[in-house]
Amino acid sequence: MDDFSYQKPSTLGDAVEAFSAADDGVYLAGGQTILPVMKLGLAAPEEVIDLNGIEELQAITASDSVISIGAMATHATVAASEDVKQPLPALASLAGIIGDPQVRNRGTIGGSIANNDPAADYPAALLALGATITTDKRQIAADDFFLEIFETALEDGEIITKVDFPVPDAAAYMKFANPASRFALVGVFVARTGNSVRVAVTGAGPCVFRVGDMEAALEKDFSAAALDGITVPTDDLNADIHASAEYRGHLIGVLAKRAVEVAKENGDGQ
Amino acid sequence: MTDVSIGQAVKRAEDERFLTGQGNYIDDINLDGQARAAVLRSPHAHARINGIDASAAEAMDGVLLVITGRQWVAEGMGTLPTKTSVRKGRNDTDINEPPRHCMANDTARYIGEPVAFVVAETQEAANKALEMIDVDYEPLDAVVDPVKALAPEAPQLWNDIPNNLCIDFELGDKEGTDKAFEEADHVITLDLINNRVTAVPIETRGCVGSYDAATETYTLYNSTQNVHANREMFAVNVLGIEKEKLHHIAPDVGGGFGAKNSAYPEPPMVLHAAKKLGRPVKWINTRSDSFLGDTHGRGQTSRVQLAINNDGTFLALRTETVGGIGAYCWTIGPFTPTGGSARTQGGPYTFPTMYYRGRAVFTNTAPMDPYRGAGRPEATFQTERIIEYTARKLGLDPVEIRRKNLMPPEALPFKSPMGMEIDCGDFPLLFERTLEMAEPGAFAARAEKAIKAGRLFGFAIAPYLECTGGAPKEYAGVQFKEDGTVTLAVGTSSTGMGHETVMPQLLAARLGIDYERIQFTQADTDATPIGGGHGGSRGMEVGGNAVAQAADEIVEKAIPLAAHLLQSEATKVTFGDGSFSDTASGASVAMAEVIEASMDPDRLPDGQEPGALDTGSTFERGIISIPNGCHAATVEVDPETGAIQLTGYWVMDDFGTVINPLLADGQVMGGVAQGIGQALTENIIYDESGQLITGSLMDYGLPRADVIPNMEIEYYEGAPTKKNPLGVKGAGEAGCVGALPAVVNAVLDALKDHGVVHLEMPLTPESVWRAIRDKGAFDPEGLMSDVL
Amino acid sequence: MPKINLTVNNQSVTKEVEGRTLLVELIREGLGLTGTHIGCDTSQCGACVVHVNGQPVKSCTMLAVQADGADVLTVEGVSPDGGLSPLQQALHEHHGLQCGFCTPGMVMTATALLNDNPYPTEAEVRHGLEGNLCRCTGYQNIVEAIMAAAKEIRG
Repeated sequence: MDDFSYQKPSTLGDAVEAFSAADDGVYLAGGQTILPVMKLGLAAPEEVIDLNGIEELQAITASDSVISIGAMATHATVAASEDVKQPLPALASLAGIIGDPQVRNRGTIGGSIANNDPAADYPAALLALGATITTDKRQIAADDFFLEIFETALEDGEIITKVDFPVPDAAAYMKFANPASRFALVGVFVARTGNSVRVAVTGAGPCVFRVGDMEAALEKDFSAAALDGITVPTDDLNADIHASAEYRGHLIGVLAKRAVEVAKENGDGQ
Repeated sequence: MTDVSIGQAVKRAEDERFLTGQGNYIDDINLDGQARAAVLRSPHAHARINGIDASAAEAMDGVLLVITGRQWVAEGMGTLPTKTSVRKGRNDTDINEPPRHCMANDTARYIGEPVAFVVAETQEAANKALEMIDVDYEPLDAVVDPVKALAPEAPQLWNDIPNNLCIDFELGDKEGTDKAFEEADHVITLDLINNRVTAVPIETRGCVGSYDAATETYTLYNSTQNVHANREMFAVNVLGIEKEKLHHIAPDVGGGFGAKNSAYPEPPMVLHAAKKLGRPVKWINTRSDSFLGDTHGRGQTSRVQLAINNDGTFLALRTETVGGIGAYCWTIGPFTPTGGSARTQGGPYTFPTMYYRGRAVFTNTAPMDPYRGAGRPEATFQTERIIEYTARKLGLDPVEIRRKNLMPPEALPFKSPMGMEIDCGDFPLLFERTLEMAEPGAFAARAEKAIKAGRLFGFAIAPYLECTGGAPKEYAGVQFKEDGTVTLAVGTSSTGMGHETVMPQLLAARLGIDYERIQFTQADTDATPIGGGHGGSRGMEVGGNAVAQAADEIVEKAIPLAAHLLQSEATKVTFGDGSFSDTASGASVAMAEVIEASMDPDRLPDGQEPGALDTGSTFERGIISIPNGCHAATVEVDPETGAIQLTGYWVMDDFGTVINPLLADGQVMGGVAQGIGQALTENIIYDESGQLITGSLMDYGLPRADVIPNMEIEYYEGAPTKKNPLGVKGAGEAGCVGALPAVVNAVLDALKDHGVVHLEMPLTPESVWRAIRDKGAFDPEGLMSDVL
Repeated sequence: MPKINLTVNNQSVTKEVEGRTLLVELIREGLGLTGTHIGCDTSQCGACVVHVNGQPVKSCTMLAVQADGADVLTVEGVSPDGGLSPLQQALHEHHGLQCGFCTPGMVMTATALLNDNPYPTEAEVRHGLEGNLCRCTGYQNIVEAIMAAAKEIRG
C-alpha cells in the first residue's frame, strides 16, 4: 500500500483535531477492514489516525438495564466480558462468532458499525436491541444510524465513543455463514423487551433492516410458530454466487424462528 | 543408534525446523543484490493485443527492465512443450498443440495470462510499474464452458484449431459396449459435472534466479515439484541452452498437490532477466494471481451410462466426457480428461466391457494440469455416481448392488477393458471391512436421533480403484562419509509427504544402519543425474524402490569386503538383519562396521579403493500399480437450510506394503479433506465473459477444521504387488479418489425420501434446499445432449 | 518515519518503520524472522499469526507501528531454549504437519488457545482453528495434537 502519516492520539479531542487537520484521513480502529482494503489498493488515505491509544474508548460497563460498550472494545473482549455475558449472552455470543479468533482479537465494535458492511454481525444486534450510539458530538439511535451499504449517519470525522445496549428480556442471534469468508450470508437477531419485539436482519440485504411483519406477529405470540407464512420480499435482497435472493429470503424465515426458539429457551437473557 | 524398520511409524525428521520457524521456503531465500519482479497479467479472458507501450513504466524510478510478449519472442525465446502421453485421438487424428510462449504476444487467451514482465529495485517499484504499462487490448468474445466451446458458433481460441478441440480420445471397446447396451434389460444415463477446483497450496509459487557470466550457468531456486523435467523445458526449449547450464533447486516447498508440477512461464522470465541485468531476480506470486494463473483441476462434464440386467449384474459402462483444459495444452493438460480419466473407469467392479471417450477442449480459462488424482477422482466419481443413481432408479439397495458386482479376488489378475493390469487385491474384503467400521447396525438409531433433531441422516460407501503414474524412472545415490554420516540423494520431490523421513527409513532398515546418521537431499539437479520429481503417487513406488535397490546393490558390493573382514569367502557370507554372517563359522560383522572398513585403506583387501560402497542406482518401474480401497461416510443434513455436516468417515486402503503408516495416514487424510472441499465448498467460477469470480479465499471455500470430520483409517497389506520389489501401491492421491462419491452419495442418501437423486458439486446448502423444494426435479440428460 | 520500541521474543527491538509497514513485514524483513509466513492477501489463511501482548493476531493485518510498546511473540520464540514446547512436541508426535507452511500459524494459535482454555473440547479446538487454513493434513492430527498437548500441560 501507499505510505501515509501515522498518528496515535491519546485523547478523543486530539483525534478529532487530527482528522480535521488531515487532507485525506481515516480512523484506524481494529484495522481488520481498513487494512485489507488498503492492501488491495482500494483506499489510499494520506493520514491514518489510530484510535487504539484512547483508553476511555475501551471500557465496558453494565447496569441492570444498560450495557455500555466502548467503541474500541474488541470482539474478543466483548465475547468474554462477564458484564456482557451475564445480562445479554446473545450479544456476547454474537461477538464470539465474528470472523475468526485472530480477527476478534483486533476488530472492534466501533470499527464494525462505522463501516456498515452488509454482512457484518453487529448491526443486527444494535438494530434489534434498539441500541444508542454515542459519538464525540451526539447520540444516534440505531434506527437512524445504519443508512445504506457502507454508509451510516456519521459525519466526516465523527468518532463513535460507545454503544449502549438496553438489556432485553429475551434475545438470540442466529447466523448462517458464508463458508469461505465466514461473513453472515444471513444473520437474524431477535429481542423482546416486555411486549415489544424487534427483529433485525443482516447479510440478506444491502443494509441491516427490521422485519415489521415478524415483529408484529411475535408481539402477539412470541413463538416460532407465529412466524409461519411470513415472508420477506426478495426483490431487494442480495444475490451472489454464495446465495440467491430467494434463498436468503428463505433463510431469514428459518433463522428468525430458530432465534425465537433460542430466545425463549434462554428466557430472561440468562 | 536408531533402529528403524519398514512398516514403522517413524516420526518425521523435518518437523523440528518446521515447528520452530526454521523452514527454508522460497520467500525466505534472498540473494545479494537481488531485484524484484512483477508480472502484468491480462484482465481480459480473450483479447487481441494491438500494442504495448511500456515507455512510461521503463522511465520510472527503480525500474530496471520491462519485457513485453512481443519482445520476448523477438529475443528468440522458445515455447514450452506439452508432455502429455496421449497424442493420438479417434480416427487416427493428432493432438492439436498450440504454441505456448511464456507471455501472450498478439492475443491474450485467459484472464491472468502474462503479457509483460517487469523487474525493479523493489517490489513496490515493480508493482507500480505494472500500472504504467499501457496495453492496447481489443476484447473478443470468450468461452469458458468446455461443452459450449465445442459448439460451431463458439469463439475460436486458435485459428487453426476448429471447435477448440485439442484431442478427441477414446479407449475401450466401443462395439462391444454398444452391443451390451442394446441387449441390456436397463440402460441408465446420467449427465454430471466434476467441478473445477484449484489446489491452493498455502504457499504460493515463487522463484529466485541468478546468472553467473563466468561459467554461463543459471541457478534457479523454485517452489516446484519437478526440478529435472522443468529444467529441461526452461533451459532447452525456452532459453535455448544446454540443460546442464541450469542448476534447478527446490527448497522447502509449502504444498503443491500437482499445481507446482508444471512448467510455468515465470521462471524462464526470471532467469532471462537475471542474465540481462547481471543481478539475481526474485519473483513471488500473490494469492490473487495464484487463483488466476496456477493450474486448475477437474472441470469435466460427462455423460455416464450403465447397462445392467434385471438381476443387478453390470453389463457395460460407457462414459463420454468433455474437459476444458484452458487456452493451452500446458504440461500434461490434455491427459487428464482423456487417458487420465479413462484408465480406472469401472472401478473394482466386474464390467465385461467398457468404453470411454474424452475430449480435451480449449477454453478461455486458467490452464488445467494434474491436480491430486488427475482423472482418477473423476473416473471413480463417474462410476460410483452412476451406480448409486441406478440403484435409486431401479429400487435396488446401493450396498447390495456394489457387493454383487465387486470383482472377487479369484478373478485376479485381470486386465480390465481399459487396459489396467489389476494384479492383486481383495475388493470384497475391503468393502465388508469398511462397512463393518462404519457400524451399519447403528444407523437406524442414528437416523432416528437425527430426525428428532430435525435433520436427515445419510450413508454411502464408495469402493475405488486407483492407479499410479508419474515418471517411471528414479535415481537414488548413497555416499558414506568418513565421519559416519551417510548422504542419500533421491530425484523425487516431497512437498510435505515426509520423504526426508521415509527414504532414510527405508535405507536404514534395509542396511541395518543408524537412521539418524542419514542426511537426505532431494529436488536438486546437481544432487541426482535424473529425477522424476513428483506426480502419480510415485514417491514410494518409484523413489522408494530406487532407494531399496541402491541398498541391495550396496549389500552386494559389501559381501566381498565382509568376507575379507570375516576371513572367509564371499560364497559363505550372507546378509540379514543388518549384519553379514559366515554360514560356516557363525561369525558376523555388522554392516556399519563394513561401511567403516570400506573407507579405511588399512582394512581393505589389496587393490580395493576406499569408497567403493558408494552407489548410485536407477530404478525403472515396469508397470504402474493398482492401489484400491473403500471410503464410507455418514452425513446429517438440515433440510430447512440445506446445511450438511459430515458425522463419520471410514477408509480402508490397500497400498500394498506400507512403509510408514503415520505418513500414509497423513496422505489419506489430506486427500480426503481435498475431496470433501470439492464436494461441499470449493468451486472455481468464471462468469460468461471469462472473469474469475472466485478469485480469493473470501469466495473460494477452502474447508476449515470445523468441516472435516475425524477419519478412521485402516490398511490391508494382504496383497503387496509384485509389480515392484517393495510391493508398494502408491498412496498419495487415493484420499481424493474415494472422497467425492462417498460424500456426495451420502448426502443423496439423506435426501432420498425427498426424491432427490442427483446434485452437482459443490453441494452448497442452497443447492440442497432447492433440490428438496423441487423434489429432486432435474434433467439427467441436460448437459451433454448438444455434443453427443 | 515512526520509530517504534517493542519486544520480540523477549528481546528489545528499536526500529524505524514506515507507517504502512505491516507487522509481518517488520518481522520477516526487518528482523529476519522468517518463520512467520504469508499465504494469502485477504487475511484468511492464518499462516502469519503471531502473539501481540499474548493474543494471537494476523500479523498481515496489523501495522508495525501498532505494535509499538507491545510484546510480540513469533514461532521462533515459543521454545527459546531449544527443544520443543509441549504443543510443538505433540504436533510432532501426532504428525500434525506436512509441508510445514501453515505450521507456525497453527503453533501460535494453538499455544494461545491452550493458554486461554486448558480444558478444550474437540469442538472448541476445531472452532478455535477457524482462522488457520491447512491444505495438507485435513486437520485431524492437528486437533489430536492440541488435545494431547492440553493433557500434557495440565499434568
